[in-house]
Amino acid sequence: MDEPCYFNYFESSKTFHGAIRNIMGTRFDIVMLGESRAQSAAVFMDLKRELRRLDSLLNRFDDESEISKLNVRASSGFVPLSAEVWAILCDCKRYHEITDGLFDVTKDDFSGILFREGDRSVSFASGKTTVDLGGYAKGYALLRLQQILSDNNVGQCFVDFGNSSILGVGHHPFGDSWKVSMENPYRRGETVFEIDIRDRALSVSGNRPEYSGHIIHPATKKATDERKAVCVVCKNPLDAEVLTTTLMIAGDKEKNDILKRFEVDSVYEYKW
Amino acid sequence: MSKKEKQVDAGLRQFIKDLGYVAGGAALLGTVPWLQSFTPDKLDEIKKEKARIGLIGVGSRGQYHIHNLLEMPHAKIVALCDNYEPNLKAALELCPDAKTYTDYKKLIEAKDIDGVIVATPLNWHAVITLDSLSAGKHVFCEKAMALTMEECKAVYEAYKQSDRVLYFCMQRMFDEKYIKGIRMIRSGLLGDVVGARCHWFRNNDWRRPVPSPNLEKHINWRLYRESSCGLMTELACHQLEVCNWATALTPKSVVGIGDIVHWKDGREVYDSVSLAYHYGNGVKITYESLIANKFNGMEEQILGSKGTLNLATGMYYLEDEAEGNSAIEQLLAQIGDKVFSAVPAAGASWRPETKKVYKAHPVIKGKFNVNDGMSMIGAEKDGSDEMLSSFCQACITGEKGRDIVEEAYSATTLCLLGDRAMREQRCVEYPEEFKIPFMKF
Repeated sequence: MDEPCYFNYFESSKTFHGAIRNIMGTRFDIVMLGESRAQSAAVFMDLKRELRRLDSLLNRFDDESEISKLNVRASSGFVPLSAEVWAILCDCKRYHEITDGLFDVTKDDFSGILFREGDRSVSFASGKTTVDLGGYAKGYALLRLQQILSDNNVGQCFVDFGNSSILGVGHHPFGDSWKVSMENPYRRGETVFEIDIRDRALSVSGNRPEYSGHIIHPATKKATDERKAVCVVCKNPLDAEVLTTTLMIAGDKEKNDILKRFEVDSVYEYKW
Repeated sequence: MSKKEKQVDAGLRQFIKDLGYVAGGAALLGTVPWLQSFTPDKLDEIKKEKARIGLIGVGSRGQYHIHNLLEMPHAKIVALCDNYEPNLKAALELCPDAKTYTDYKKLIEAKDIDGVIVATPLNWHAVITLDSLSAGKHVFCEKAMALTMEECKAVYEAYKQSDRVLYFCMQRMFDEKYIKGIRMIRSGLLGDVVGARCHWFRNNDWRRPVPSPNLEKHINWRLYRESSCGLMTELACHQLEVCNWATALTPKSVVGIGDIVHWKDGREVYDSVSLAYHYGNGVKITYESLIANKFNGMEEQILGSKGTLNLATGMYYLEDEAEGNSAIEQLLAQIGDKVFSAVPAAGASWRPETKKVYKAHPVIKGKFNVNDGMSMIGAEKDGSDEMLSSFCQACITGEKGRDIVEEAYSATTLCLLGDRAMREQRCVEYPEEFKIPFMKF
């Protein structure tokens, strides 16, 4: 069934707004400027198709997704993967290594994932191991969408994926960038940062009053209880996504070492 | 009837239809009583007749009216008058069959003219209007009404004694988005009207090129006190009229400060004014105009306890929608309002000391024109052509437009009192001797 989605076109400002209410466990919005209604709608439909495809691969809450099937079957033996999910898990391994083990899609022990190159299959060392691409999938999706937007020559748009993963292509029609702000979740009314982005991705991860303890330090196995937020701005939306999750649990020294391995424009960290 | 004429006639009918005249005539007339002479039936009455029009003053604004008149099936330009030869020549090229004059007194003697359009410098408005009414002509005069309080009163009284039609070009009174906006205010959309904020900002010297120094005051008449009160009579006049229209009141007093801040080029009128007009119920109009910075553009905001309506942009905003909008809704509202501001990621951003982003609602569904306030001549579809068309119709029917002169009188006298408040640096009360029955304080 199609996800509830809608779009609207504002003729006077040539502004297109497309939204999908529930995709990959969150809401997706895009504002595109300067294109005709038909062109914008065609691009939006391409984006929607791609998001649905990724959802069917990566959503662990969907029993039919490839990741869900992997989680159910891999503790019983090697499960052959599609080329794309194989590449994704290999990429997660790479991120695990360059974040000194802090980025971990198993939230437990990444070494519990056994890779078999020959037939691109994976098995889990124990029944406790599962893969949760929560800190990866939105970044990966934005990376794919970035390519679709570029292929369609969309030069001015703002993508908001779940209110925490942002892509700013070109600039706001009345400014020379897109401006993004974040409120202190513990002190209503206090804006903790305003950042200008242009042809950049921005990812935010932070504890909110309703924080569910989903960010777990793989070494201590404990959920971080620090009241803080991390925001990363860089060209690659996947790097931004992985880094915000990682930096939420990284100590100062780990943080400096990890950041040397990424091309990052800026990192903002706030503690309350 | 030519194809062009058919289109214009259809346009007039559409204007009336868009206003909901047929469906809501009585309610409409409560808000815009001057439209009672502008009904579909009356349009039918004048179908085959033409108002014979003479123009006095055919500079840029006069020529703007000529272009509009040439599109009207019920108007014929028969005479042109100007004492500046290049203007007369340019106007004659637009309507080569018209007779030309250099003395308006000769023009108003002509028997083949039903109505005159006065588009001269402000200091000529009163005398030409009075002479034209005396000569039995219907008159459509540019705003403001006149240069002094006494002249305004003299024109008002002459009009009351006359059976002739008199219009002043306060074109917002015929602009669909204003009419619908005022109806929304009167219907309680904004709750109680608690304030008004109007401003008109431009960044230009307000000058026109002068071929010879002895023509400076003739051409740049807006800059000299003998012929204008500058920003007050040329710009504020429209906006104060709108505030009175929205509140159905006239302010009791005014304070203000005026200066020549930037354009120190020998002009005598202020290039920067800030005023506060005070209504009897405590509501105030905060008015500001500056012509050395255009950041804020032109706006007319009517502030209510439940919302704000910006009549100039045709958008309204409700107080209870100020917070809790999604980031994207806020971004869309920004783009609609031409504002560059932050999009709140990771939670709604609420900033107490800066302007919040409200959801913008259009007063009119579909496309409509918004005047950016930058043109010194006139804007497209700002109500001027509808008002002129209504006047031409009135030249045929002889029916006066209710409250048109009264609205212009109130707005102009308020401009003049504001100017006095700034020059004398004191609070100026509305003088008893200039109050007219139309005004409610």
